[in-house]
Amino acid sequence: MKYITNSIRICLLLTFSAIVILAASCNKAPETIPGAPAITPPTGNTLGAAINAIPTDSLYYKVIVKSGLLSTLNTPNLYYTMFVPDNNAIRVFINAITGGAIPLAAPDQVFAGFINSNSFPAASANGLVSYNTCPQPLFMSSVPSTFPNFQYPTILNPAPSISALLRLTTFPSTRNGNWVNNVPLSSVNTAVSNGVIHHTAAVVAPPQRYVWDRINTDADLTILKAAIQRADSGVVVSNPSSLIGGLQNIGANFTVFAPSNQAFKNVISFLSGGLIPPNAPDFVYIGFLGSNNISTLLVKGIVVYHIMGTRAFLNNFPTTATSYPTLLNSAIPVHPGVKLVCTFAGLSVTGATVKGLVNPTASNIAINPFPDPFGTSDQHFLNGTLHKIDQVLLPQ
Amino acid sequence: MRKITSYLVPFILANILSIAAFSQNVTISGNVRNSSTKEGVGAVSVTIKGSESGTYTDDKGNFKLTVKSLPVTLMVSSVGFEFQEVTVSKSTEPVQVNFKTASSLGQEVVVSASRVPQKILESPVSIERVSAAMIRNSPVSNYYDIVSNLKGVDVTTSSLTFKTPTTRGFNSSGNTRFNQLVDGMDNQAPGLNFSVAAIIGLSELDVDNLELLSGASSALYGSGGMNGTLLMASKNPFKYQGLSFMVKEGIMHTDRASGQTTPFHNWNLRWAKSFNDKFAFKINAELLQAKDWLGNDYRNYNRAATGGNVKAGNRNSDPNYDGINVYGDETTTDIRASVLNSIGRAVPFLKNFIDTLNHGAAINVSRTGYTEKEVTNNNTVNFKLGGSLYYKISTYTEASVAAYWGTGNTIYTGSERYSLKDFKMGQYKLELNNRYWTIRAYTTQENAGESYNTTVATRLFNESWKASGGATGWFSQYAQTYLGARLQGLSDGDAHAAARSTTDIGRPMANSTQFRNAYDSIRKLPISQGGALLLDKSDLYDLEGSYNMTHVTKKYADIIVGGNYKQYVLNSEGTLFTDSTGRIKISEYGGFVQAARQVFTGLRLTASGRYDKNQNFEGKFTPRVTAVVKVAENNNLRFSYQTAYRFPSNQQQFINLVVGSNVRLIGGAPGFVNLFNFKGNPLYDFQSLLSRQIVPYTPTALKPESLSSFETGWKGLLAKGRLLVDVYGYYGTYRDFIGRSVEVQSLTGAPIALSDTSNGFRYSLPVNSPVKVKTYGFGVGVDLRLPLNFDISGNVASDNLLDVPTNFVAYFNSPKYKVNASLGNSGFGKNKRFAASIAYKYSNGYYYQGDFATGNLPEVHTVDAMISVKMPKTKSIVKLGATNLFNQYYYNAIGNSNIGGLYYISFGYNVY
Repeated sequence: MKYITNSIRICLLLTFSAIVILAASCNKAPETIPGAPAITPPTGNTLGAAINAIPTDSLYYKVIVKSGLLSTLNTPNLYYTMFVPDNNAIRVFINAITGGAIPLAAPDQVFAGFINSNSFPAASANGLVSYNTCPQPLFMSSVPSTFPNFQYPTILNPAPSISALLRLTTFPSTRNGNWVNNVPLSSVNTAVSNGVIHHTAAVVAPPQRYVWDRINTDADLTILKAAIQRADSGVVVSNPSSLIGGLQNIGANFTVFAPSNQAFKNVISFLSGGLIPPNAPDFVYIGFLGSNNISTLLVKGIVVYHIMGTRAFLNNFPTTATSYPTLLNSAIPVHPGVKLVCTFAGLSVTGATVKGLVNPTASNIAINPFPDPFGTSDQHFLNGTLHKIDQVLLPQ
Repeated sequence: MRKITSYLVPFILANILSIAAFSQNVTISGNVRNSSTKEGVGAVSVTIKGSESGTYTDDKGNFKLTVKSLPVTLMVSSVGFEFQEVTVSKSTEPVQVNFKTASSLGQEVVVSASRVPQKILESPVSIERVSAAMIRNSPVSNYYDIVSNLKGVDVTTSSLTFKTPTTRGFNSSGNTRFNQLVDGMDNQAPGLNFSVAAIIGLSELDVDNLELLSGASSALYGSGGMNGTLLMASKNPFKYQGLSFMVKEGIMHTDRASGQTTPFHNWNLRWAKSFNDKFAFKINAELLQAKDWLGNDYRNYNRAATGGNVKAGNRNSDPNYDGINVYGDETTTDIRASVLNSIGRAVPFLKNFIDTLNHGAAINVSRTGYTEKEVTNNNTVNFKLGGSLYYKISTYTEASVAAYWGTGNTIYTGSERYSLKDFKMGQYKLELNNRYWTIRAYTTQENAGESYNTTVATRLFNESWKASGGATGWFSQYAQTYLGARLQGLSDGDAHAAARSTTDIGRPMANSTQFRNAYDSIRKLPISQGGALLLDKSDLYDLEGSYNMTHVTKKYADIIVGGNYKQYVLNSEGTLFTDSTGRIKISEYGGFVQAARQVFTGLRLTASGRYDKNQNFEGKFTPRVTAVVKVAENNNLRFSYQTAYRFPSNQQQFINLVVGSNVRLIGGAPGFVNLFNFKGNPLYDFQSLLSRQIVPYTPTALKPESLSSFETGWKGLLAKGRLLVDVYGYYGTYRDFIGRSVEVQSLTGAPIALSDTSNGFRYSLPVNSPVKVKTYGFGVGVDLRLPLNFDISGNVASDNLLDVPTNFVAYFNSPKYKVNASLGNSGFGKNKRFAASIAYKYSNGYYYQGDFATGNLPEVHTVDAMISVKMPKTKSIVKLGATNLFNQYYYNAIGNSNIGGLYYISFGYNVY
């Protein structure tokens, strides 16, 4: 009997032990550390689809379709910022490039027909959309309001054979309002699944030429051209210190205050003690600049005093006169530079001046932002902006 | 002093030279067998009453003795059997002794607690004993693993054959606060500073017993032993004779989670023989081969933080992913600082764009690594070979020469994961043992073989197929591709993926011929030549002796004195230590005295003290006082005040090893100040720098750490000797605790900057904590013998840390609670030939701190089980066993191998 009792006890113990062991025998895998949320694909409209869904963007949508970039912009895992001109802006743009052949009051079908026609090549559409499209979502809250504009690349690579990383750039700004280049933004920060849309009040056309191209071909800038050539005398264009080389270098970024020929005539007449009258033919002044009557160093000093190493559109100028450095500061770091100021009427720049250190008065920028080669202010080039002024800036 | 010398020298000589002079003319032969199973019982002590002459039975239970005359009374004894006296009046017939089994509970004799034999019940300090019989009836696949079932023991498992036990906290792979002695020899590898008893120690068939001293034990055993001492004793060939072998075959990786099910082979051989009780020898060999478990913790790890921590992310979500068991991905850089900013300067039109990437923060990127499985050959081979010659110079004096040699492949976790390949270590001993004294001289010869640092090797391999730096280097290519992808509109994650994919074109596939050839050439190239190979051939030479003066002083006290001298010779040829210009020698000497007195029947007091001096440190005195109070028959209370100390290990003094991107482990020897120009280019506190504060750090002289511990316990037999209870509690205080501190130095010599948290050069150097680290804990163990040979045992222990300052990395590494429970039967079925046991182990989760990685360990449950059957006719035993029966993978240190189930069947011949 005792044997049986013990056996039963032992069997119970065995059973109990087995149950406990089986219940407890489950080791855990290493704990996972929270903090890396699973990547979920974005939902909602992509950029192309979103623009297509906005009636007032219908014309630009057609431009996008023509550009061949629609599928790219609708790719969920490609992220962009788009500056989108609304239909009014497109109409103005087409009216301008057709020389008024398509009147502003024409029905949208007419503008759409133009976009679809061979008169508006796909390459042009591609260039336009590419220039108005930047990689990665850029909300305007991330754009500083400091001087100068915020340089940001587009997806337009003008020379892929040179470098895959080469990009034309835009210049968004939140100074004195929201801008891209010198174009005000009518609405900002429309977020979509793969980016953000900012609407522009006008078409932001991609630059085609270099700053030097304008100086080299503008009949009103021949004396400035001569001054630059004198400043560069003895320096080949390929030399990094060459001003001409810099002014046609796509990697550069300048703001050039370009004195008109008359401005140069006035100052040369002054420098010559009146020997050269302010109304002599251009070649006289050009000859003076090439002569030993004036040193290369002086000419170069004057020229670089007209160039800033950053790109500034007038909308980015301060509304109270403020000094900014020029290229002269690379030689004379303590030089106060030039004083800039502009005035606004709403989002329109109505006036702007730049003042040299010893100029008694500020030089006026001729306000005419019509695109190169017709305008005189905010002339936008591959490597800078150019503003025509009515005085030569004198650094000392 | 001269008086003592004049007494001792002739006394010792007399003992050595005295040869039994009495005539021996009657030979008695006989046999001892188990009364119930009728099997012959080997290794039974047969002694002539009234003399110290005696012998042991052989493996068949036979014995032979020569006596002067008859009649004589033979005293027959063995643990687990009732003591018998047999009177022999004539020699014409063999003596037949029927040995009756008896409970050995509490009757085991231990030696290590006081350096003299005493019943375990009367030990003045906590001690656990494992006998060969316990190993035989245990489900463990390797005798060494049985230690993990003892009360209060934590084990860190680096791999199948690399396990590190400790008690009372501070567990780690290769714990230097826990001594392991094999037949009296320190089993620590002199250079690598970890004990290698599992791979170079005794073979399983030669293990006589293991004794585990928990907690402080320096007072008797010298430097180290702050967290315990494990003493492993081999079988004496006079006592254990005959040929034994055991073949164990098993399987691992049965779930095929890491490939395929793989075999486990473990073969043991032992042969011992004595001749006329004067001369004996033994030979042992053991071979183990298996496919090891590997570390497969691929969680993301942040090495930049002090102490490090596991962080979110994986290779897909974190470009700077650094997997714990992924190597080569420790090479990291901020591509913004190293590449993109210079692109922004060269092409200003991209500067603002670059500035907006990752919100202007650093863009840290790591090289693509390889998993441990891809770079580590998990073929574990372990071969042990040992042999001893014994000669009885006299009845009381025995000389022996012993050699223990082993080689093997295994995986060890130090500051990195190390692949110990063809590691070899030999221990060679010459020993004289007298009933009063012992003289032992031994040397440990270490050879790291082709051991290498897996992390370093893989990082160098990455450099070999594509350099990280330079204009066309991996990081430059990555950064440019990443930038291009972002310019194309790709998201940050996609751009990183594209960059990695593009930059890794040409990356050798793991285990391709290209990979293997390049990897092998790197791991075989010494660290000092730009490779990953450790060239450690460090040695230890030790001479020690002890003398038990009790026969002279017993009127006053039982007194033992002893001393030792040891010399380390570090030789790594600059691959591990600062020994590129020559070997480093470190000498230590010490001595101890212990006095014990039975004050009255119920009280025994013991006091001991030890003084040790290391040439690089001031001497240390470590006292110990114990008291054993007999409260009832077989019930004793014990009280002790123990101290322990540890000289900084050889590595803590002289290591000089680059372990990561701009991270170097260095020792605390004063020479490092000049070596790395800490005066000209000073160190700063890294933790403060992370907190954006610049706080200078001045290295200070490293001191030995010490421990004082109070302990009380009760060990008693209850329930008519069927229940053994052991309870202890302790409170310890560590002083000058040696930890590691990370400091940073400017990489360029320029004034330190906040950015030097990532740009500076970091040194991990040993420091003494100004804080007293306090520990306390308890343990309770019960062992209940039931009818029908059943037994139930269990223990629970808890170790705790007190008053730890914030941010102090103590490496305490002990679960708050750990539990062992087992149920066994040592004889059931027909003729009680069957035996079975099942053992359950639990430890709760805790925050593990290690040099390699730190993080939360989950709780662990494991179940081991076995069933065996004896076949007396063939003297063999077949055992079917499993460790981690349910194949519940676990790991007990961050980054260590993930341990699964091992299922085996063994056949043993003449295993006792």
